[in-house]
Amino acid sequence: MPSHDVLIIGAGLAGQRAALAAAQTGASVAIISKVHPVRSHSVAAAGGINAALNPEDTWESHAFDTVKGSDYLGDQDAIEIMCREAPDEILWLEHAGVTFHRNDTGHLGTRAFGGASAARTYYVADITGHAILHVLYEQLMKYSAQIDRYEEWFATDLLQDSNGRCIGAICRNLRDGQLQVFNAKSTILANGGAGQAYKPTTNGLIVTGDGIAQAFRIGAMLMDMEMIQYHPTTLVGNGLLITEGARGEGAQLFNAEGERFMEKYAPNKLELASRDVVSRAEQTEINEGRGFPDGGVALDVTKVPRRRTLEALREIVNIGRDFAGVDITREPIHIRPGQHYIMGGVKTDVDGQTTIPGLYAAGEVACVSVHGGNRLGANSLLDTLIFGRRSGEHAGRLAKDMTMPSTPAARVSDTEKTIRGLMNRTGGRRVSAIKDELGETMNKYAAVFRDEAGLQTCHEIVRRLKEEAETATIDDRGTVFNQDVIGALELGYMLDCAEAIVIGALERKESRGAQSRTDYPGRNDEEWLKHIDISVNGGDVPKVSYSPVTITKWQPQERTY
Amino acid sequence: MPEYLLKIRRFDPQSGQAAYWDEHRIEMEESQSVLDGILKVRNEIDGSVGIRCSCQQAICGSCGVRMNGKPGLACNTHLGIAADRKWRNEAVGGPRDEGEERVIEIEPMGNMPVIRDLIVDMDAVHWKKFQRVTPYLVNKQPVPEREYIVPHDNMVDITQTMACIQCGACVSDCLSMEIDPGFIGPAALAKAYRFVGDPRDADHKERLKDLAEDEHGLYDCTHCFNCIDACPKEVAPMSQIMRLRRKAGSDYHIDDRNNGSRHEESFTTLVKDYGLLHEAELLPRSFGGNSWFGKFAPGAGAVLLKSLPAIVPAVLRGKVNIKTAILGHKIGSKDLSAVQRLFNKVEDRKERIELNLYVVGEDSEPEPVGASAASESENS
Amino acid sequence: MKVAYWPGCVSRGFTPELHGSMAKVAPLLDLELVELDRACCTGAGVIAEHNQELADSLNARTFALAQQTGTDLMMNICSTCQGAQSECQERLDANSEYRAHINENLADEGLSYEKGLTNKNLLWLLVEEIGLDTLKSKVKRPLSGLKVGPFYGCYIIRPIHRLGIDDEHPRDRYMQMVIEALGGTVIDYAGVYKCCGFPIITMNMEASLAMAGRHIGDAKDADADCLVVPCPLCHLNLDLQQPLAARQAGRELGLPVLHLPQLLGLALGLEPKDLGMSKHVVRPTSVIEWSSSVIAGVPA
Repeated sequence: MPSHDVLIIGAGLAGQRAALAAAQTGASVAIISKVHPVRSHSVAAAGGINAALNPEDTWESHAFDTVKGSDYLGDQDAIEIMCREAPDEILWLEHAGVTFHRNDTGHLGTRAFGGASAARTYYVADITGHAILHVLYEQLMKYSAQIDRYEEWFATDLLQDSNGRCIGAICRNLRDGQLQVFNAKSTILANGGAGQAYKPTTNGLIVTGDGIAQAFRIGAMLMDMEMIQYHPTTLVGNGLLITEGARGEGAQLFNAEGERFMEKYAPNKLELASRDVVSRAEQTEINEGRGFPDGGVALDVTKVPRRRTLEALREIVNIGRDFAGVDITREPIHIRPGQHYIMGGVKTDVDGQTTIPGLYAAGEVACVSVHGGNRLGANSLLDTLIFGRRSGEHAGRLAKDMTMPSTPAARVSDTEKTIRGLMNRTGGRRVSAIKDELGETMNKYAAVFRDEAGLQTCHEIVRRLKEEAETATIDDRGTVFNQDVIGALELGYMLDCAEAIVIGALERKESRGAQSRTDYPGRNDEEWLKHIDISVNGGDVPKVSYSPVTITKWQPQERTY
Repeated sequence: MPEYLLKIRRFDPQSGQAAYWDEHRIEMEESQSVLDGILKVRNEIDGSVGIRCSCQQAICGSCGVRMNGKPGLACNTHLGIAADRKWRNEAVGGPRDEGEERVIEIEPMGNMPVIRDLIVDMDAVHWKKFQRVTPYLVNKQPVPEREYIVPHDNMVDITQTMACIQCGACVSDCLSMEIDPGFIGPAALAKAYRFVGDPRDADHKERLKDLAEDEHGLYDCTHCFNCIDACPKEVAPMSQIMRLRRKAGSDYHIDDRNNGSRHEESFTTLVKDYGLLHEAELLPRSFGGNSWFGKFAPGAGAVLLKSLPAIVPAVLRGKVNIKTAILGHKIGSKDLSAVQRLFNKVEDRKERIELNLYVVGEDSEPEPVGASAASESENS
Repeated sequence: MKVAYWPGCVSRGFTPELHGSMAKVAPLLDLELVELDRACCTGAGVIAEHNQELADSLNARTFALAQQTGTDLMMNICSTCQGAQSECQERLDANSEYRAHINENLADEGLSYEKGLTNKNLLWLLVEEIGLDTLKSKVKRPLSGLKVGPFYGCYIIRPIHRLGIDDEHPRDRYMQMVIEALGGTVIDYAGVYKCCGFPIITMNMEASLAMAGRHIGDAKDADADCLVVPCPLCHLNLDLQQPLAARQAGRELGLPVLHLPQLLGLALGLEPKDLGMSKHVVRPTSVIEWSSSVIAGVPA
């Protein structure tokens, strides 16, 4: 039975970084991933990673931009840590081999990004996430003696001892369906956000809120779940992401009347205002009839010199060509806001510890919170690495003084029963039909602009879908790579996340960051400068509570771009 | 909307049955992807169809499959284009009939064992070879406090190989690997270039030597271009293999035991000396050494002996003229001198010149629409 | 039509029957060949593998010489020449700075390559310049009953974008189209688009011979009477080396391999002996017998 000091579930940037950091402390490490690690959705991150590495830049400036970007909901102690440690992390990546692009003098190059007062985004063409993820995997190969990889294993249950401490997980080998207890002194969740609860989303099919829901179910506190980032530039058809890097290189937004409308909404930063501001601007233009018939506005990348586009934005040239039939070096491409990221997640401290002892979380699955009400572009890659590292280090160091817990192997039979039960259901609705309805519902009522009536309707629908999911049927009853049964489990996770999102949105009666309530249009610091926490309540509607926002240096101000 | 007949290759190891074709007719837009089609089947009809997929935007590398015989990603291959391939494969010219069916046969990738349906065991082949090439940076010492100084173009250049999404399409159709499963393969060798082309890596020579000396290594590539066509990200693995060969042979003068560098050098020298390829000399020199005396080396002698069943009939039938075989055939002396001057000029350069269109791009493109156009058109 | 003709090295060396049959077939196709006897080897991809600038310079010189003949286009009779030249031409045409640099290398001979030379293999020329209808009209001995397996050779079909293969020019179907136009039966088998193994004959002889053996074997199993190849390097590995390939594959082979001009010549009424078929290592007995049963000019 696998027993490790540190068990990491999820092998994206946060998970892999945690594994390397934990291994460095001398701990024994296992990393589990339901897909091969390089398929993790971190691979799709494009634009870059922020750090105040330039001697003329300061971490305080980066931190302030982040605080302002968060619309003052971010916890400033965590933000300070992230921004202060960012430069060293970039250099760590550079030395590990990340192929950062250079400027003319051969030093690390930067590009401009949203909400930043200085160009501090380090990048690899427009495949930064991919490059970092692959280099981290190279390092996992290098340290394969210290880090046990379980690739294409799915964590089905988190295990707890009689005191409620998390002591590992049960995982299913997708290749043959075998269930296995994994004992661990500490468990780190690094399995990402919940974008697939929305349709469309920029997220891959695997981003189904597994970690958020599993933590929630064993009693961990979730925080800021209502904060859902709609990325300004996603393709009108299928919602695929067009990186912010395009705007960083000089691309501009136009409505159907040929107006560069950002001049109205963010006269200083224009297209590089924070994402929620740009998304709201676009949505307003569209809602007020100045969008194109296909429901979008235009992103004009022809403003960028062609050679630069081919060098630094090659991936979106490919996306434009393959998925929209547009050559972005010759004509504008139609985009609109699309679901992209969840600022909320499992509540953690600055070392990644959740409210459940023995359980950590890092990356998009977590909410520290460094992003508060809105995340700046290129801060997510940073978040995953800083807090992935910190969780791994913390868990690795703690392990020295802990005894290895043990769960009897027989425990897997409970999970086996659940899965068998799932497989044997008949007569219910198809999993994909429920998922589609969930996604369309969330995208309608819990999107850029929300209101009470819409959110209530949304909640009713989500509750009904949760009931239907209990009897949802699948086709595959085999054990070799049964993706069908995994899909049914993931549906349950998405529904839990969706409910938490809606509850949070209903609760926060103000507009802040990505939460934009047409019935409460202003920001209300007096009553709402606090986090909304959500916890499980049996099968009933989740409980709501509050926690304070940590303020160190920057008092909330009016937020304009 | 046109109707497509998807024929998906199914295989369930638990059923005891052989692999079979599972047919589904679906109506989809021409510009939707093959993956959209497969997912429609999986979502609405049969949830047991096994395929790896996630991002749906050609970046995660999960959905590598063969579609109407050609490998690629299901998510960025349009249904219309895939279907046309089938018709082209069977037609002998002429346009497709209106009523003809649009068929797409979808199979798992080749050269790798099938686990189930469209899911192959990449660990057994692709990832195994990946691990073979020391797939992590070996830092050049001393490691600077901050960043290494690297020319801008150099980093853009290795971004080409860094862009590999490890989808396996190149491995799937590698013809060398098909015959010689031990071949390290295009994906791993392209990955090797990512390090050999990176000035921050300390082990360029060691890597090249290792790959050159491996019997199933650098020189086992049969130059068939399949991987270049297969790759959805323009990594052009075979081109990277050729760059590795250029570095190994021309820059580091690695004299491998597989005759690879000797073959290259002999060919080049023969063309320099004759203007044309002197075939009879090529084989012995590749084995015995790049000189007229190469044929007397034991290695050359052995292979000449082995080749007698080919050489003897060739001579007897008059295919090979003894005079030509010994003396070779040349171009005119004036032209030969000009050619030799070219050789000397280029080979005498201190640094090899190499053009990578991925970095440099093509020039003279027409003005893009939407940008501020010049008010006057230029007259030619 | 008049074309600048690059015959390649091997057609004048180890496969003289190719050069000879091309010379005989050209007048029957109304092709006037202006042989580029001043030009040198294309490098076959091997020189490019050794030094890119060198290969580009040697081929730019050949292109410049072709442009000097004042003909419409250049023709080759070798898949490998086509591929090697197309690769160099792609670089030369794409970047004017690079082209200027290479032209500097040619300056002492007063030669200069101007962008945009059309370089076609005989196979492409047959379909695109001469046309299948015209070809059909010249057939004197239809290849009826002759089962022909095409073998393209990697360098003429990949990479697709470099070789101009698209829906308007389905160049990867031309062999089949030509065989049918000549009246023959196309044999489809696994190896049609695969590699003969020639590039690794010195580096991994077993693999190279195994490839050749497998493809010949597959064609035999599909009941082919012969293979036809537009590349003399493929011909070397498939014909010259066939006895060794048979040994490697562990089975008897004995499948004749024809050059494209030889197949054309048969259909256009020439005799096997005139087409140099007696020079093959694998005697094309079955083909010769078939041809004597069909006298040219007399309907089968």
